[in-house]
Amino acid sequence: MTCRDFEARADAYAEGRLSPREAAAFEAHLDRCAACAALLERAAGSPPGVAGLARSIEPAEDLWPVIRGRLASLGQRPGRVAIPRWGLAAAALILVALSSGVTAVLLRPAPRTASATLDVSALEAQYAAVSEDLTGALEQARSRLDPATLATIERNLRIIDTALNETRQALANDPGNPALGQMVVAAWRQKVDLLRRATALGSES
Amino acid sequence: MRALVLLAALLAATPLPAQEKINRRIAIDSDASIRIWNLAGITRIIGWDRDSLAVTGTVPSGTFYMGGAGRGAKLGVERPEGSKGDLPATLEIRVPRNARVWVKSASASVEASGLSGELECSSVDGSVRVEGSLRLVVAESMEGNLSVYGPMSVVRLKGGGGTITLRGARGDLMATTVGGAILLSDAALRRAHLETVSGPVAYDGTVAARGTLEVITHSGDVTLRLPTEISAEFELSSFDGAILYGLSGKGKGKGEPAPQVGKPMSFTTGGGDARVTVRSFKGEIRVLKP
Repeated sequence: MTCRDFEARADAYAEGRLSPREAAAFEAHLDRCAACAALLERAAGSPPGVAGLARSIEPAEDLWPVIRGRLASLGQRPGRVAIPRWGLAAAALILVALSSGVTAVLLRPAPRTASATLDVSALEAQYAAVSEDLTGALEQARSRLDPATLATIERNLRIIDTALNETRQALANDPGNPALGQMVVAAWRQKVDLLRRATALGSES
Repeated sequence: MRALVLLAALLAATPLPAQEKINRRIAIDSDASIRIWNLAGITRIIGWDRDSLAVTGTVPSGTFYMGGAGRGAKLGVERPEGSKGDLPATLEIRVPRNARVWVKSASASVEASGLSGELECSSVDGSVRVEGSLRLVVAESMEGNLSVYGPMSVVRLKGGGGTITLRGARGDLMATTVGGAILLSDAALRRAHLETVSGPVAYDGTVAARGTLEVITHSGDVTLRLPTEISAEFELSSFDGAILYGLSGKGKGKGEPAPQVGKPMSFTTGGGDARVTVRSFKGEIRVLKP
């Protein structure tokens, strides 16, 4: 896949319209193309090629409150729908951007500089916002999940939260350590991914 | 009295629906898309050299459905009317080898063999086992084990508490778990990204020339068993865990660095063709001979 192909398929990927093979190729390109990863990292949640979205809208600041409001209103209705498809697509879009940025950070031999720490802080804020939204969605879906499944999800979340607390504490003690920043971001990524999978299960039940 | 209570409980219990045997078949293209829903029980998928889809098995009466032809087909087991849970069904499904198969499971175990196309499988706590040489395998289970045996081109695995096991892995792999282990044997991957939170990682094999192996874990121990002649750039770091290096370095990586804690270790063996990166917070990292 070329960079041009990548840009052309970004919308389709976010909306889940790519075949598994195309999606895998898209993800593989993200992981190996430093230019596209850097572009996404700079965009911080606004991947290129999303022609239908105004470029001035930063999803983490503007889109998520809308999603939150929408989720809240849907959550008051009886029925099984917890997250609309477009909400999941938007979440996927943000996750792509976050994952790509994180992958770029993880793969890059980062120097011990303040800017590396700042990047981690920005990513943390993004992940925390997504995590909060997904946690709310999971709460709404809780009653629809099998108790054993819920227990599994909560056990895994505890493991991740422990890891997150330990790495954040270590980073607070050594804020210039880029490796610690990367570990914090890795824990956040795991948490958001688990929450995303859990809420998807809840909306299917 | 106890017998009466037991009898009352038995009478009050919802009767299980009767089981029925199924034997259905339709013609489809050799690269058709097939979607399968079986939430509980066992789903066996077997690739064969015919342009047809054949399903046999045992299911709760009246719950099986199947439709489609040509480019696509779907089949599955519905939850019986009035049932609160998913009742187990056993399905044996023969599909064209080159088909693209999508499977949805909750607790059902999924076994696939003889395929060369694509398989995407999502489960809650069922296990997934894939054997063959597929272009693409995507599997996800919150708690079940994920096992992939054979040289797939692209593999994407997401676990939770279950173990991820791969044997003879080639190509491109991305595997993540939370507490579950990631175990690879006879691996020769072009690109691998392995990530756990507390689960251990064991990689036994080599990394293809110009390939990459990346491992990220919080507290899982990481053991890499690599050939002594591997040509790679190594970057190993554990914030609070020991790093043990037991390969005989050649070229620039002369000798074996002493074990150390808290300091990253970077070195090159041979010409440094491949790249091996391990990052851990407090897990131990070992790089050993096979």
